[in-house]
Amino acid sequence: MIGVAVPAYDPAAPESATTLPVGTPTTVRSYVRELLRRHRGRFTVLVAFNAIAVVASIVGPYLLGGLVEDLSDGVRDLHLERTAGMFALALIVQTVFTRLMRLRSAMLGEEMLADLREDFLVRSVKLPPGVLERAGTGDLLSRITTDIDRLANAMREAVPQLAIGVVWAGLLLAALTVTAPPLALSVLIALPVLILGCRWYFRRAPSAYRSEAAGYAAVAAMLAETVDAGRTVEAHRLGARRVALSDTRITQWAAWERYTLFLRSVLFPVINVTYVTILGAVLMLGGWFVIEGWLTVGQLTTGALLAQMMVDPIGLILRWYDELQVAQVSLARLVGVREIEPGAGDAEVVPDGRDVRADEVRFGYRAGLDVLHRVSLDVAPGTRLALVGPSGAGKSTLGRLLAGIYAPRTGEVTLGGAELSRMRAEDVRTHVALVNQEHHVFVGSLRDNLLLARTGAEDAELWASLAAVDADGWARSLAEGLDTEVGSGGLALTPAQAQQIALARLVLADPHTLVLDEATSLLDPRAARHLERSLARVLDGRTVVAIAHRLHTAHDADVIAVVEGGRISELGSHDELVTADGAYAALWRSWHG
Amino acid sequence: MQIRDLPYPDPGDPDVRSGPRFLLWLGRNQLGGQLRSMSWGLLHQCSIAGLSPAVGLAVQAVVDRSGTRLAWTGGLIAVLGVLIALGDTMLHRTAITNWITAAARVQQLLARRTAELGSALTRRVAAGEVVAVSTGDVEKIGWFVEAVSRFAAAAAALVLICAGLLLYLPSLGILVTVSVPLLALAVLPLLPRATKRADLQREKAGKATELASDTVAGLRVLRGIGGEELFLGRYRRASQEVREAAVHSARMWSLISAVQVLLPGVLLISLVVYGAVLARDGRIGVGQLVTVYSAATLMLFPLRHFEEIAMAYSFSRPSAQRAVRVLSLHRTAGPSTVDGAPTGALYDPATGLMAPAGLFTAVVCGDPDEAGRLAERLGGHAQTDSDPESDEGAAAQKPPSVLLGGVPLDELPLDSARTAVLVQDKDPVLLSGTLRELLDVPSSGRVTPEEALAAAQCGDVLDSLAQASPAADGDPMATRITERGRSLSGGQRQRLALARSLVTDPEALVLDEPTSAVDSHTEARVAAGIKALRQGRTTVAFASSPLLLDLADRVVLVHRGTVVAVGEHRELLDTEPRYRAVVTRETDDEIAALTTGCATGTIEEIEERA
Repeated sequence: MIGVAVPAYDPAAPESATTLPVGTPTTVRSYVRELLRRHRGRFTVLVAFNAIAVVASIVGPYLLGGLVEDLSDGVRDLHLERTAGMFALALIVQTVFTRLMRLRSAMLGEEMLADLREDFLVRSVKLPPGVLERAGTGDLLSRITTDIDRLANAMREAVPQLAIGVVWAGLLLAALTVTAPPLALSVLIALPVLILGCRWYFRRAPSAYRSEAAGYAAVAAMLAETVDAGRTVEAHRLGARRVALSDTRITQWAAWERYTLFLRSVLFPVINVTYVTILGAVLMLGGWFVIEGWLTVGQLTTGALLAQMMVDPIGLILRWYDELQVAQVSLARLVGVREIEPGAGDAEVVPDGRDVRADEVRFGYRAGLDVLHRVSLDVAPGTRLALVGPSGAGKSTLGRLLAGIYAPRTGEVTLGGAELSRMRAEDVRTHVALVNQEHHVFVGSLRDNLLLARTGAEDAELWASLAAVDADGWARSLAEGLDTEVGSGGLALTPAQAQQIALARLVLADPHTLVLDEATSLLDPRAARHLERSLARVLDGRTVVAIAHRLHTAHDADVIAVVEGGRISELGSHDELVTADGAYAALWRSWHG
Repeated sequence: MQIRDLPYPDPGDPDVRSGPRFLLWLGRNQLGGQLRSMSWGLLHQCSIAGLSPAVGLAVQAVVDRSGTRLAWTGGLIAVLGVLIALGDTMLHRTAITNWITAAARVQQLLARRTAELGSALTRRVAAGEVVAVSTGDVEKIGWFVEAVSRFAAAAAALVLICAGLLLYLPSLGILVTVSVPLLALAVLPLLPRATKRADLQREKAGKATELASDTVAGLRVLRGIGGEELFLGRYRRASQEVREAAVHSARMWSLISAVQVLLPGVLLISLVVYGAVLARDGRIGVGQLVTVYSAATLMLFPLRHFEEIAMAYSFSRPSAQRAVRVLSLHRTAGPSTVDGAPTGALYDPATGLMAPAGLFTAVVCGDPDEAGRLAERLGGHAQTDSDPESDEGAAAQKPPSVLLGGVPLDELPLDSARTAVLVQDKDPVLLSGTLRELLDVPSSGRVTPEEALAAAQCGDVLDSLAQASPAADGDPMATRITERGRSLSGGQRQRLALARSLVTDPEALVLDEPTSAVDSHTEARVAAGIKALRQGRTTVAFASSPLLLDLADRVVLVHRGTVVAVGEHRELLDTEPRYRAVVTRETDDEIAALTTGCATGTIEEIEERA
């Protein structure tokens, strides 16, 4: 067998940096300990059932050994009825406890798994908004799908099965030692090969399996993308390239399959040789001992049959140990989320009034690279402020600071005199809400999609909120009304409808200050303006900071701030700015004709 | 086919008449691999079976106090050990090779089919269905195809073992032989129920995962506005349902394990009792009794294959059916009567829309959906939403083809039509890869990526990509753009897609709202960039922004499926109230003050749509 080198390309290597932390070995270990402690009782029961089943399974070889002993001694009265009776009893016990053990192990595995996934989601929804904005949801998403999936296998099967395997092998070894202590020697003979082989294998296997799985996922992802981008692929005549690219992915994946196959091509002979060595050594050594008179034939027979039974637990341990290694990485990724400080904040910091102020604010995403430079802004209650300016000027960043999502590097952003960054996220959002382009429609009923903004709202309130954003028309025409299932898999809503739902949530949440970041950009321009006008009626009296792409939004605002290069370059009402004849005025003329 | 030789140069033409036929086709195509795997499997099973007589011989040798025979038996066990190791490893290697090559073949078929179907695919099957075949079904199909040869080997080995036992020790052999079918088939009646429960469990698990990923995908919304507890509660319920379904399923599987312990146990007891009587009466040797006992224990391994093959088939048949559903799709295209690379004006007889050769034409259309349909028509070979079966019926009502330089695009082969006219739809997808790969599209070669990026005002995109670049010199072209460009803002995505279309540099370029997500500051510069780069080429842009319309050579107003006005932006602004209404989006009051009754229809329409 010629060795196979590790493939050069590793699909499991992160393409984009992991945006959220991964658990350290210490965190993972303490988490596992906690998990085991929480389920200590069930573990004990499982091990006990397992032990009973194993002991019952040893009765067969033991009885046969006795028979062989008697037969070779030429005993005529074999007490067969008694033997058969004991054998049958042992079989019934073994059957019953095998069933119980299997069931208990599944129950335990499922319970641990449910704990883990629910725990992860609880942690995820407590992440500070700033972390989410910065890290995006992609990394989190892959953790809750891929990593939970991988762990499912481990929890459901690997942990209980490993526990079973270890107990089983241990009991067999103990039985062998009790039956014929010299025979335990034969196990020792086989051990070095097994240990060496396993060390070699387990040093390479876990990361190789990870890469293999990632490679396979990449094959599917490539296809998913081609399907998703069907129109683009056809328009740009990319069909042949997609096929070639997908073949490349298959080559990369197959290389890892070939590598892991090589690893197993080493492991399998090791296991087989170990197993046959144990059996052979028991027979040879034992045979020699019997001939020398140190053992009886019965002991030898029982020992040989017990050695033959060893194949099951050894296979079980090796099979699942692998899975556990792979799962460890996934667990570290899940547990990593626990290391993020849940949004701190002081419940004592309470705003007095509704003035929004930015004072000498500097902010940057990377050290030494500020996006905003000493920005100061005063927004009086009830003002509608529009932020305009070229892409990358810092409009959205300023909006996020005003919504309390990011804390300024220097300077401060206050609401009614209270510093937003010192308030709890749950408190900030009762005052200020940020609405961006991301109009997620959740899987579930239309009602659930609205209720999240005000849990416990009456249907009438929900309808009123839909009416406020001009959405009651299409919503009332739905056959099941508020119970209509929407979101992925349910009724597909148009981007415009999704946007209306997002705005209806705002009406329900009822914050006195709103930051709209291109909130209506997905609507066709005329509908957007209409919607903004009807929203304006709803939002009357509230402070609105709108990050505007379209100049009509700016035109409707009380105050316009032109943001350029991380600074506010012009500030004033539409008429003032047009009169001032600066950058805004030039733009407005070319736009309005 | 070996794994290192993958992918297949040509995955072949699958038999897609039905799921089972597809499985058969896959198996037939790797007959050599199947035979190899079966041969190694037979060697493996028989060598394991050989251990039983060896154990019996050893015990008998000891009973007879014969050291020489014991040593010979030791040699036999060593030989068997080598054969077992060889057989097991090679069986695994050949079987896995069958699995991988079958899976790769199906993946390759899927990739080819989706690339061929292009925009037509998702009109015929849900995107999720195709992806589900690739992620879940391929594995199951591969499993069954691979398991067949292992099963065949196990079944053959069982026959050999029984025959061997019958010859070696007819009295006990007959007992074993009679019970083999019973042991093999006993759990089969339980399997359908068990797999059904397992399916239910998977379905629930899939739903829970969907809920979780949906919650995470919308987490920023939740964190921004509240409702975390509502969604956590929902997920907890789903998660507990998964747990219950899993335990429900485990009840069945644990029952199957119990049966697998009980039945062989009964056989073993019968063997021991009957064999002991025979041995006591001196009709068989003690070693022979041990041999049969040991053989009956080891027989359980080949027996498990009966259960596995039944399960593999029950899982893979629906999977194969789903795969066949996708693989049997074909793009229905009319016969192409002309070929070549036509040039000239782009003209749509249905609406009367005319885009003169070499000019920048802007189209204003009150209804964005209508604009989208019209843009798609301009590329030719537009897909109808009608049922593919009724294509002939629909063809009769199909509007006449769009003409490029007088040549009907529908009559051109699809690839020629797409080469001549590029339609960039409202939501172009940025395929994942580096920026260099993104812009490496089939093109005329006259426009460099740098020129296109500059024209589309992608400077800020390049800056942010440079910061994330893995290259030492911060080359933005080497930075990966994540799937669908999610790491970029809407405006940045739109400008990159535009740059890609500009690089292609087709004879006629049709852009549907190319700057809708771009801020007004940048929009004017983008429009100027398009105009400069497309100088002398035919360009059509569906737009409603004055900043873009102002730069067009010619503006066409389409209203309810017909061209109603043609002219320059400022001219139309002054003379055409309907145009003014759409473009400046003046308030109802302003329009009412400005216009006469002829525009009221449009205003009502605005009301309805908003």
